[in-house]
Amino acid sequence: MEHEHVLEQIPAYALGALDAEDVLQIRAHIERCAACRAELLAYQNAASMLALAAPQQEPPAGLKQQIMKKAALSPRKPAAGSFTVWRSLADRLYRLAPAWGLASLALVFLLVISNIWLWQRVVNLESKSKFQVVALAGTEVNPQASGVLVIGSDGMEGTLVVEHLPSLDAARQYQLWLIQDGKRTSGGVFSVDEGGYATLQIDSPASLLSFDAFGVTIEPYGGSSGPTGDKVLGGEL
Amino acid sequence: MDFASRDDETLLHQIARASPDALSELYDRYGRLVYSVAYHATSDAHLAEEITQDTFLRVWQRAESYQSQNGKVATWLASIARHRAIDLYRRSQARGEGHAQALENVPEFELRDHALGLETSLEVEQSRQQVRQALNQLPPEQRQVLALAYFRGLTQEQIAHALALPLGTVKTRLRLGMQKLRQAVEGG
Repeated sequence: MEHEHVLEQIPAYALGALDAEDVLQIRAHIERCAACRAELLAYQNAASMLALAAPQQEPPAGLKQQIMKKAALSPRKPAAGSFTVWRSLADRLYRLAPAWGLASLALVFLLVISNIWLWQRVVNLESKSKFQVVALAGTEVNPQASGVLVIGSDGMEGTLVVEHLPSLDAARQYQLWLIQDGKRTSGGVFSVDEGGYATLQIDSPASLLSFDAFGVTIEPYGGSSGPTGDKVLGGEL
Repeated sequence: MDFASRDDETLLHQIARASPDALSELYDRYGRLVYSVAYHATSDAHLAEEITQDTFLRVWQRAESYQSQNGKVATWLASIARHRAIDLYRRSQARGEGHAQALENVPEFELRDHALGLETSLEVEQSRQQVRQALNQLPPEQRQVLALAYFRGLTQEQIAHALALPLGTVKTRLRLGMQKLRQAVEGG
């Protein structure tokens, strides 16, 4: 993309008003151009200032108390985090395949925890189960990362489990993409705990079985309309 | 420790050390700002409340992730809330809820200065005045495009479609609006 064309697009890029395709082209240029990076930083600063012109709205009287109460209940150290993640996964898997029985689900649960030949064994289970499993592999950005997508028999429910993804700063999150014929639909955003683990109950507008592939990218907190950041996980149905 | 006299970055530093008093002070300074951004991005008081909670709890957990290149602490907080609000708004779009809402209830930027009692740092107040003055000088059509992009997270194409305008017109309005805003912010 030509430098002058990129300069014209930078204000919109800073505001998040570019379509995903344009974003990818501009990012590729900006990575090579220090002048454009400086321009982007200046426009991002200007864009962020728009918050100060939002009409003032008084928050509810009890909101601060709610926040402080929840903060008091949320330890800043991650000691209990991982166990909570796996308990949550067990609950979700049980909802997906109640007819399968607790024993089978416990086997899946133990395999995930042990992480020994995880992907191959879970895939072997697929033929015996009433749900499908998609393995997600780390990209060159994070080759050590991995994930598994468990899809219910009717495709309308799914859970993503990831591990070994690095924690992101407060302004960024991971975003799951559901891919069909090249078109990407958001499946939701998530953050990992200090151990790099996370689960995500997938929010899909259609059956997950209708998609060809799945990917996870790094996006601004809250997600994007299309992938804009580095891809960290990918896999095909 | 008296946090009322501390600067914002010191507050974050103390929050990273698990000081609830520092979190309380940060909310006192910017709770209204965060809620305002969330409210106008979603047009929903309940969602705004949820987003504000999420934002401050996120800072409680990840205060150490703030870096000065993220901008002022105030706008960093607002950015977290804005992105979360836009995500929720896009999900409602995907479910077919309220596409018409894209144009309805889109707030106009606050252009006038008026005291609301307790306020933030002097530095943030000065920045607020700069931004308002800059927006005041923009033609209404440029402000409209900026508001749709900022509060609704619409792309230029989506804005052009919503306003039934040529894409080139929207691009020009957005670029000119942002250029003037930048000049005002940098001009001091």
